[in-house]
Amino acid sequence: MTDVEIIEKIKNLFAGKVLDIANPAPRRVFLTVEPRNIEAVVEGLKKELGIWYCATISGVDLGSEFEIVYHFGHDRGSLNIRTKIPRANPHIESITPVIPGAVFYERELQDMFGIVVDHIPDPRPLVVPDDWPAGNFPLRKDWKYERPPEVIPGGKT
Amino acid sequence: MKFQIPIGPQHPALKEPISLRMTVEGEVIKDADIRLGYNHRGLEKLAEEKTWIQNIYLTERICGICSHSHATCYVQGVEKLMEIEPPKRGAYIRYLVSELERIHSHLLWLGVAGHEAGFDSFFMYTWRDREVVMDLLEMISGNRVHYAMNTLGGVRRDLDEGQIKKILDGLEILRKRSEYYFYLAANEPTFVGRLAGVGYLSKEQAMELCAVGPTARASGVPRDVRKDDPHAVYDDVPFEVCTADTCDVLGRAVVRIKELFESYKISEFLVRNLPAGPVTVRAPKRAKPNEVLSRYEAPRGENMHYIKSNGSDKPERLKVRAPTLANYPATVVMLRNGFIADIPLIFAAIDPCICCAERTVEIVNARTGELSVVRFSELRARANDRSRNLSRKGKAVWPL
Repeated sequence: MTDVEIIEKIKNLFAGKVLDIANPAPRRVFLTVEPRNIEAVVEGLKKELGIWYCATISGVDLGSEFEIVYHFGHDRGSLNIRTKIPRANPHIESITPVIPGAVFYERELQDMFGIVVDHIPDPRPLVVPDDWPAGNFPLRKDWKYERPPEVIPGGKT
Repeated sequence: MKFQIPIGPQHPALKEPISLRMTVEGEVIKDADIRLGYNHRGLEKLAEEKTWIQNIYLTERICGICSHSHATCYVQGVEKLMEIEPPKRGAYIRYLVSELERIHSHLLWLGVAGHEAGFDSFFMYTWRDREVVMDLLEMISGNRVHYAMNTLGGVRRDLDEGQIKKILDGLEILRKRSEYYFYLAANEPTFVGRLAGVGYLSKEQAMELCAVGPTARASGVPRDVRKDDPHAVYDDVPFEVCTADTCDVLGRAVVRIKELFESYKISEFLVRNLPAGPVTVRAPKRAKPNEVLSRYEAPRGENMHYIKSNGSDKPERLKVRAPTLANYPATVVMLRNGFIADIPLIFAAIDPCICCAERTVEIVNARTGELSVVRFSELRARANDRSRNLSRKGKAVWPL
């Protein structure tokens, strides 16, 4: 599938759901969708276009909102779906019913940005330690690390 | 009677320490659970504090085996952001080092597979040959592990005629030895019998769980970024995507062996057709606000860097996806319904980094709650004892 064919098919398939289609470089297609449509679009891509490979999910902190980019690979390049959710209420629907292999990327998103992925099959933390304090999301731009004071068990002698 | 076996988190063989908790019934693994995060280095956060140049050396240190892969993936993305292109000679040298790195990684993996299967002379042979390619890499870059060849706009060192001759000679030696040793492995029925049928991952499962690299290709999924999304020189180079359809550890070995020969071919092509000219162009300090998605086929599978710039000399966001993370969900499936005895082999099959093989595994007896610590070498011995008595695998044939 060339970029032009993919764009044509997407225009036909998701008429009202895709807000914007960009093709900034050869073999790179970026779609912009509303967060509530993400699962439907991913499902359509898998069923109609045969794009089954979710490479990863990137989060970006834009200040008042978070941008989430879903990166997919196919046999002639890559397709990316971009969506934006408000920082005040960061919720996104899980895509794991369609693509089970994406669960690790969604868990990483929860740990790093504090984005709540609804209906995720396994919501446990993935990359932060067990004793990680709640409410700390390292990849948010306003997060600063403060090393906690060292506690020596039994006290200093 | 159910047992739970925790493996890790101290697990030096994997790129990141990982905890695998296996629920077993007798000898059979019923479920596996993966817990990561014991060695999370906050590298993506750190990258936002460093300049474009500094980040080359940061990304190079993501991994010790495929260090050139991450640096190249990052550099080729940043070059697109800065709207510069490396000169042809620079690009050829950059991807020559990539292919030599793939050769050393695959030879290392083959040795580990031989070792875990109890074929230790195979391990010693392949690792001795690996020294040939390690010496070539040291001659080209000055280093055995972190080559530091990449810079924005090209590579940092040129090749001269004497080095080119040495590379061609080295590749010739490697090709001959590889052919001989692979003939040896193919004619060793115990080796083939030990690998066949272990760690089954069907094509549908590989696609569903988004497996990458040799793991996916061994399940008959012909995905290779060098072919699907040819970055830089791979448009010019003739090569084939190697697949296998046995869906097991044997298939993963076959794919890597085929890829070795493809890599010899690619390296030879790059060296023989090395264009004249400079190896690097000057790169600007800053990049305009933009974004880029950079893909690269590392020895273990697809590397992906998503880079966003904001006009300054530092990235706004650098997202790194290493191939091993993509293969973890598939590993759980491979382990399920396998035997405890096959854990070392299945581990080795997804990750060639499993070289520090002396480590311990705790076996928890669920009835008594008793912990027993087993050395990995003992686990391997048990594995080999078990497979020695398997007559049904005796008919497996080497598919090459």
